[in-house]
Amino acid sequence: MEPPQPQVQVQVQRDNNPNPNPNPNPSPIRSTGGIWPTIDGPLGLSEEESVSYARRFYKFGFALLPLLWAVNCFYFWPVLRQSRSFPRIRPYVVGSAVGFAVFSTLICTWALTFSLGGERLFGPVWDQLVMYNLADRLGLTAWS
Amino acid sequence: MAQRQTPSTQTPTLLDSLGEEIVRIVAPVSICMFLVVILVSVLNSGDSSFSVSSIATIAYTETTSDSSWDKFVGALLNSLAFVVVVTVATFLLVLLFYFRCTGFLKIYMGFSAFVILGFLGGEVLIFLIQHFSTPIDCFTFLLLLCNFAVVGVMAVFMSKMPILVTQSYLVVIGILVAYWFTMLPEWTTWAMLVAMALYDLAAVLLPIGPLRLLVELAISRNEEIPALVYEARPVNVENLDPRVAVARRRLWRDRRATENSNLRGDANVNVDNALGLGANAELNHGSDSNRNDPSLAGEGAVLDSNLSSSTSYGTYSDRNLVRAEEGRVQETDSEVTTPLIGHGVNVRMHSRPEDADASDENLMLEGIGLGSSGAIKLGLGDFIFYSVLVGRAAMYDFMTVYACYLAIIAGLGITLMLLALYQKALPALPVSVALGVLFYFLTRLLLEVFVVQCSMNLLMF
Repeated sequence: MEPPQPQVQVQVQRDNNPNPNPNPNPSPIRSTGGIWPTIDGPLGLSEEESVSYARRFYKFGFALLPLLWAVNCFYFWPVLRQSRSFPRIRPYVVGSAVGFAVFSTLICTWALTFSLGGERLFGPVWDQLVMYNLADRLGLTAWS
Repeated sequence: MAQRQTPSTQTPTLLDSLGEEIVRIVAPVSICMFLVVILVSVLNSGDSSFSVSSIATIAYTETTSDSSWDKFVGALLNSLAFVVVVTVATFLLVLLFYFRCTGFLKIYMGFSAFVILGFLGGEVLIFLIQHFSTPIDCFTFLLLLCNFAVVGVMAVFMSKMPILVTQSYLVVIGILVAYWFTMLPEWTTWAMLVAMALYDLAAVLLPIGPLRLLVELAISRNEEIPALVYEARPVNVENLDPRVAVARRRLWRDRRATENSNLRGDANVNVDNALGLGANAELNHGSDSNRNDPSLAGEGAVLDSNLSSSTSYGTYSDRNLVRAEEGRVQETDSEVTTPLIGHGVNVRMHSRPEDADASDENLMLEGIGLGSSGAIKLGLGDFIFYSVLVGRAAMYDFMTVYACYLAIIAGLGITLMLLALYQKALPALPVSVALGVLFYFLTRLLLEVFVVQCSMNLLMF
């Protein structure tokens, strides 16, 4: 009798604040009535701006900039977390996530092959490609 | 029984918000110093005959064979040359800002940030690769470096990015430039630190100082100075229930709409600052504008390197902080009137009657003046020179590192207190550098002997 009650109370308490949410005051600011789409929360972007930013990051990421895709995913993490809200932003963020995963897999496999394979796999070319030799040859290590 | 009141639902006390503000500015400074110390101790474990030629060694190149007096005079001449160059660069910056060439300035700063992140960062990475013999190939390396540099430039200048990313990139830029500066010869480094502290004091406080002119110009025009400034996250926005936060912002907006017509720049700053849209007061605003990157390319035109070092470049974080707010409102004039807030350069916190309501809780904190709801801003040049001091101390021994670190943090604390007291742009270098240099020499002369003798005789330590 005693134990269940506090739990119920706690439950109610918790449900009151699942996510600090200004929903009760519907402001004209948010279109879908969700929470902030960016990870910065109230300090971040509004929803309209978010769409254009997400799109821009997604498109620029194709210029061999997987880090931009990663930043896109990080920035709009709430969009990734909740699959129902922000229908306009979601395709770009998901696309960025997929692109980053693919790109990083490719780079990692190449880098690991290079470092683990070494000269046995590549032959003399390895010495020419590895960075510290290249830096020595090009004189990059002396402060310019 | 279940506890109903969770700490987060209570209003934050003064200690919470004040302490949080201080921590949010001391943490990145500490991280920057820590990483520079690590870099220095890892990479300079060999000899330190690596000496860069730059503007700071233009007058005299220090060699180990010279007498102490020669080195001293040489260091003084070097630092004098450096300060002169930096002054000229800052005046040039003021002139350009006066003629509204902000587009050119932004592009130039973006370019210099790219050079710092790309070339300087690349060099440091190559050093690390050589030191650890990492078998990385050139394609991967180039790809990663390019990514890093491009995203960095975007984060610092061009685009709104997660606050964490922007802050991290600013700290990285500080680390790279500081590491580069530690390559200068020793006497020159110390003389330069002292000279820059004095210059900072003069430039920000004297009425003819270029930094003060810059700040006043920005205030009178209600414009933003393109600058590389680290801005801590404002405290109250997260602690508050967003409903309250939004309500406060609305209140501020309405208030501003009515006050717009008859306000001068600093009044705007006052009202807007009350809601923590950016800095309360700017530490050493733009003193970093002169952080010279003397000859990044080693040779570069004097002008080139000077302006490039003017690291006070586009603090996008401020404007975007503000813009984020505005994005939620259909006000279009907000961007015009708010930019200066980003700086909160001249915080006149004499609360006027009409402002008192706008910021009840803030009033209490505003009395303290330390980032009531605003964030504290620290110029990147301060990061750099603190780290140079500690890095140079690391080249001697870790004992001096601890002493200098504590001295610098104490100096920063004192500066923050003075900021709360005077509530205007203050130079952040002089106190910290003075304490740091003092502690370095005291440690080296007095403490070291004591500690070594004690530990040799197995007494302590």
